[in-house]
Amino acid sequence: MAPDIGVLDKSRSEEAKAMDATDKPRLHRRGPLEYVAWAVCVLVAGGLAHTLVTNENYQWDVVGQYFTAPTILEGLRLTIVLTILAMVFGGILGMVVAVMRASTVRPVQLLASGYITFFRGTPVLVQLIFWFNIAALYPNIAVGIPFTGISQAVDVNALMSATTAAIIGLSLNEAAYLAEIIRGGFASVDKGQIEAADSLGMSARTKLFRVIIPQAMPTVVPATGNQMIGMFKETSLVSVLGVAELLQSTQLIYARTYQTIPLLIVACLWYLIMTLALSYPQSLIEKRYSLVKSRVSSEAAVDPVPLGGEAR
Amino acid sequence: MNGDGTVYARGLRKCYGDRVVLGSIDLDVECGEIVCIIGPSGSGKSTLLRCIDGLEEVDRGILRVNGEDLGFVETETAYRARNRKEVAMQRTRIGMVFQQFNLFPNMTARENVMAGPVLVKGVAKKAAASRADSLLADVGLSGHGDHYPWQLSGGQKQRVAIARALAMDPNVMLFDEPTSALDPERVGEVLAVMKGLAGRGMTMLVATHEMGFAKEVADTVMFMDGGVVVEQGPPTEVLGNPKEARTQKFLEKVL
Repeated sequence: MAPDIGVLDKSRSEEAKAMDATDKPRLHRRGPLEYVAWAVCVLVAGGLAHTLVTNENYQWDVVGQYFTAPTILEGLRLTIVLTILAMVFGGILGMVVAVMRASTVRPVQLLASGYITFFRGTPVLVQLIFWFNIAALYPNIAVGIPFTGISQAVDVNALMSATTAAIIGLSLNEAAYLAEIIRGGFASVDKGQIEAADSLGMSARTKLFRVIIPQAMPTVVPATGNQMIGMFKETSLVSVLGVAELLQSTQLIYARTYQTIPLLIVACLWYLIMTLALSYPQSLIEKRYSLVKSRVSSEAAVDPVPLGGEAR
Repeated sequence: MNGDGTVYARGLRKCYGDRVVLGSIDLDVECGEIVCIIGPSGSGKSTLLRCIDGLEEVDRGILRVNGEDLGFVETETAYRARNRKEVAMQRTRIGMVFQQFNLFPNMTARENVMAGPVLVKGVAKKAAASRADSLLADVGLSGHGDHYPWQLSGGQKQRVAIARALAMDPNVMLFDEPTSALDPERVGEVLAVMKGLAGRGMTMLVATHEMGFAKEVADTVMFMDGGVVVEQGPPTEVLGNPKEARTQKFLEKVL
């Protein structure tokens, strides 16, 4: 046995001699780079900790004071509500757009492509401001049945509050991204599955809901979870419309007290906490669905696994 | 005219771009006839079966399955596409078994077999479930109804796939290399199920590399190469005493 393999601890070499060679563990070398990396890591962390404690401009007492202030919690609540609404509306619309995108009817497909191109190709911040000012483009819309005289005029300016604009803007934008994710999910379904469904004479609708969507889920759900985490932070953009979500709530306070940094830290801490809180179920979902996916995609002959067995 | 269980084709042609995959195929399959299609990979066996199931569209030629023009209606000057409902109806009467099984992985074996009757024909779930169980028993899989495809071996999956196709009560069954994706020791169990089916008078078209099966079960053996039928006839002639040099060469290699 070569002396430099596995013998990291020379003092134990006597003991090692007594050991059965077939039971000996395989030890791996640690390169010098790993020690350098550890040193850099410790230095950076130490430096950060030092400045966080010694720099009084952080005003940690102010952070503590406002961390659970009613205005902040109210802002947090609105941020959560906006996230949920944008994901729900965006999800429904995204599904519709994805199905349209997968249609064999050319104009339907083009319509969906156009939607996705437009909403992914322009910044969401611009879209939000646009929806907020939509009344400048269409001051009045009349809802009614054409050629019948039955019609109800709606004042767009009154209808389009900052919150409404925020929900519409975020939902429409998210729909475009989710449509692409769902389309990717559709594409991940094996072509043979569609042929099997066709061969049984399934209608397009049955095929979509019974064969394609259930099998697209393992791809779509984890990606949607990631989008939700992203959306939670994206809602901070609607602060420009004056919607009193988490960021705007902190801005309202520091505009008055000039304690900008500590209040931004409050906002950051809440975003971080919520993101971490969402990441945990997200990782569970990912794990669960990767298991489902490995079962689903391993149609190639595998040995039978007993019920409740672990998929490899 | 009752053409149930028949397949009739004249001058069937199919190209992918410049490549001719089927060059003028004629078929006369009678009700209850077992046709085994043999030939090297890429000879057009699979494409022919896929055309007969409507998964691929033929470019030119006559194709009648169960006595009806498949997917199209003949007019004076053209074949006009049928509406989706009619096409789906025609397909329910043709069963297809794929090389890669293509079971629905999100459904149990029983649900796979029930899928056609329940989701397409609107059969009540309870009746469909008990029918599915008896079909699964027929293919030697009683007790496996609650298993998902990933819990089954290749041979078991393929037998579920056969039960799924049979659940629609088709008049014609198509098998596209049903044993090619199986471990050698699993081939026999699938072939046994197919033999049983042949014995019950089902019209079957089988693309296969299993010469033993063809010899034993087939009424007609078709040897295809390069998208055309080189030779066809009873297995004793095509397999036992082939006339064409191309057939002889192929059989020398596989037997």
